[in-house]
Parts: sequence; C-alpha cells; structure tokens
Amino acid sequence: MIPRIELSGVSKRFGSRQVLDGVDVAVMPGESLVIIGGSGTGKSVTLKCILGLIPIDAGSMKVDGQEVAGLKGAALDAHRTRFGMLFQGGALFDSLPVWRNISFALPGSAAERKAAAIDNLARVGLAAEVADLKPAELSGGMQKRVALARAIAARPPIIFFDEPTAGLDPITAAVINTLIRTLVTDLKITAITITHDMASVRLIADRVAMLHAGKIIWNGPLASLDGCDNAYVRQFITGSTEGPIHMPGARP
Amino acid sequence: MIAALVAIGAPVLAAFAAIGRLTRFAVTALTRMLQPPWYPAQLAQQMLVIGWLSLPVVGLTAIFTGSALAQQIFIGGSRFNAASTVPAVTVIGVVRELGPVLGGLMVAGRVASAMAAELGTMRVTEQIDALVTLRTDPFRWLVGPRILAAVLVMPFLVLVSNALGVMGGWLLATQRLGFNSAQYLATTQRYLEVDDVVSSLVKAGVFGFFIALMGCYHGYHSGGGAAGVGRATTNAVVSSFILILLSNLIITVIVFGS
Repeated sequence: MIPRIELSGVSKRFGSRQVLDGVDVAVMPGESLVIIGGSGTGKSVTLKCILGLIPIDAGSMKVDGQEVAGLKGAALDAHRTRFGMLFQGGALFDSLPVWRNISFALPGSAAERKAAAIDNLARVGLAAEVADLKPAELSGGMQKRVALARAIAARPPIIFFDEPTAGLDPITAAVINTLIRTLVTDLKITAITITHDMASVRLIADRVAMLHAGKIIWNGPLASLDGCDNAYVRQFITGSTEGPIHMPGARP
Repeated sequence: MIAALVAIGAPVLAAFAAIGRLTRFAVTALTRMLQPPWYPAQLAQQMLVIGWLSLPVVGLTAIFTGSALAQQIFIGGSRFNAASTVPAVTVIGVVRELGPVLGGLMVAGRVASAMAAELGTMRVTEQIDALVTLRTDPFRWLVGPRILAAVLVMPFLVLVSNALGVMGGWLLATQRLGFNSAQYLATTQRYLEVDDVVSSLVKAGVFGFFIALMGCYHGYHSGGGAAGVGRATTNAVVSSFILILLSNLIITVIVFGS
C-alpha cells in the first residue's frame, strides 16, 4: 500500500541552525501518527513543510505517492485541499464569528455555510448558540473545539494537530484527546499529531515517532512505546532529567 | 581598511535588501489585487475603519491647524502691511500642504499602527498560516483590501481636511482678527486653483498607499511575540511618516517647482 504521507531525507535550516536533518517517516492511510520530542526540535516545522508553508532545503515529501516538495501556485492550492490543520493556539480569526471561522473555506450561501458550521459544532460537542459568538468570548477549551470543527469542516482526508492540548486543564485536554480519536476513527482520517503530552499520545496514537536533533530516532506502534529500549524515548516518556537529552537549565 | 569597508558595506547591503523586500511585497500586493477572488466586504470594512473612523481626528487637526496658520500669517503679515494676505496664504497653505500632510500623518498614526498590530498579532498567533491552509491568499484577503481602501478614502479625508482647515482660518480671521466674512471667502475662492486641489488629492492617494503598505508590510513580517508586534507597530508609523514627508516633497517639487 502507498503511504498517505512519506518524508525521506527532509532537511531544513534556519540561518546557522539545522532544524530538520534528514527526517524519514511514513504514515499509512487512516493511521494516526503522533510525533513526540522536546521543544524546538522541529515538530511544528515538519508539519508546516508538508503543508508548503515553509520550503524544505533537501529531501522528498510525497502525499499519495506524488512529490509535493516545491509545489507552487494552483498545484500548491490543490495540495492543501487535502489537509486540515489544528494550530497550537487555535488560530481562530478574531474578527469573525465562530460560524464564519468554521465555514471559512466552505462553498455555498451564508445560510448553507452557517448550517454546516452548526453541524460541525455539534460534532465537537458545542451548542448551536456558540455559532454567533466571537472567538474572544470563548474559553480556551471551547476555542480548541471550534478550531477542531474548522479543521474537519471540509472533510479533508488528512488532518494535522499541533499541540492540541497545550494550555488546557487535564479534564478539558482529555475531552479534546477523545474528540480527536473519535473524529479520526469515524471520519477515517489520516492524522499526524505533535505533542509533549503523554496522555495525548496514549489516547490518540496508532504509532509514535520521536524527533530529536532533526532526525526521527525511534518509530513504532503505540503498544511498543513503553517497552522500547531507546534511551531518548525512555527519558522523554518518563520525564526524567537523567539521560541522553540535555535541556538547558537542567542539572547534569 | 577592509574592516572599514565591511562596516560601511554591511548596513548598505542591509538597506538595499530591505528596499528589495518592501518592493517585492508592494508588487505582490498590487498584482494580487488585480486578480480574483476579490473580497468586497473586507474592502468596505477597511474603508469604514480608515475613512469614517478617522474623520474626527483629521477634522479636529485641520480646524486647529487652519486657525493657527491664519493667526501666524496675520502676525507675520502685519509686519509688512500684508495682513490682508491671510485668506490667500491660508487657503494655499492648507490645500497644498497642511491639509494632505497633517491629514496623512494623523491617519498614519491611527491606521498604520493598527494595521501593523492586527497583522502582526495574526502572524504570531498563526492566523496568517491558518488563512493559507484554508486556501485563502493573505495578500488578497488582508493586504489588498487595506491598500485599496486607503488609496480610495484618503482623497475624501483630505478634501474634508482642506475644507475644515480653511474654515478654521476663516473662523479665526472673522471672529478674532476683524476680517469681513464675505470678503474673506471671496479672496479664498479667487486664490484657490484647480491645480492646488488636484495636487492635494494626488498626495492623499499616494499617502494612503504608503500608510497601508507600511502598516501591512511591518505587520505581515512581524515576529518575536508581543515585543515583535510592538516593534512592527513602531516601524510602521515611523516609516509611513518618513514616506509621507518624502513623497510630499517630491510631488510638491514636481507640481509646483517650475
């Protein structure tokens, strides 16, 4: 079977800093991959490279077997129609009401788009009354749900989730994680999630990959995560300060 | 010697690079503005924000400045028995220079900063990236309507500014300096020429372009969180002020220099 997304040797440098240094990873159709890794290891950059928001320096990126690195203009627009994206902070448009945020990329009349927005709000467990509110009037958890509704509104076959539970309390985070897992399963979506939150990993992932120093250093099914003998992964999932990963400010 | 050349060359190269980036941004904005899809609702909203909501500050500035100008011309002119030139010099001064320049500076202070802050916040909160992933070109959705709205409404704002500036001068001259109202207005009308009004409106359109361009450019390229947005806002205001004053000089020399 052709992977839905396949990255080979993807590299990206910002000035003197090599953020991605030959990333190799593949995601099969309908699979939920979670990428873990410390802050600043290039997880968000990886997603933005696939979306064509950041050009890569070297390597290959294929979606459904088609090379997408270097796409421009209409081809890049067509490529992006296959994706939904949940941004870390939600990235809702402040000036627009919730329903216009959700239906932003949908065709049709205003009434049809509002109906579609309300339908998607229901999918993420929000009432129709929320549709007319502005994003600033919502709590952090509700904003994440609205952003989730926007990401699924056009029913894209692939969705990226960038730190979906960042800044949320544990209960709201669990609700968001469960929603993501349900949506991925129900809508048969291929998903890549990046997170530091091990609770998210265990709820969302079919497979887990760890990004460190610009490379995927471990990649395996969720079931093998706890038993894996990779010292970097062990340190990350236990949250220990002892191990091969040295964070600035941590005691040696 | 080489160190000195490097010290001179580095900022020169940086300046050329900045001019190149700005030019590319402006060309991209202008070319995308000409291609569909267009967003008339965005344009209308920006016209309201830039035009209607700037009226109070532009109007007050014009009235106060026109009055102060009339007072100064009266004081200066009295030394040469030329106090009667108040209406003529006021109308020329207001319409040719003070109306468009002060109107432009006030709008720049209000609008360029707001645009830079709004787009800068959208940049650092990934709203601009979200627009792109939703297949919406930020140049067509955000930048184009702002530039077009500013170019379209600035001439109207400056017309109001000119009218209120002249009115401020008339008010002070007739109420405080003893001028006859009908005579003041007749002199004003006699000395006001079509070229004065046309140059004023041309200046307004050019100023509107630079105000929106600098607000959008600095906001769009903002980074570094809240501090970055703050820097973008400051840079937008300062650079639009400089471009307004520079372009005013160039247009004045071209139109009236000969």
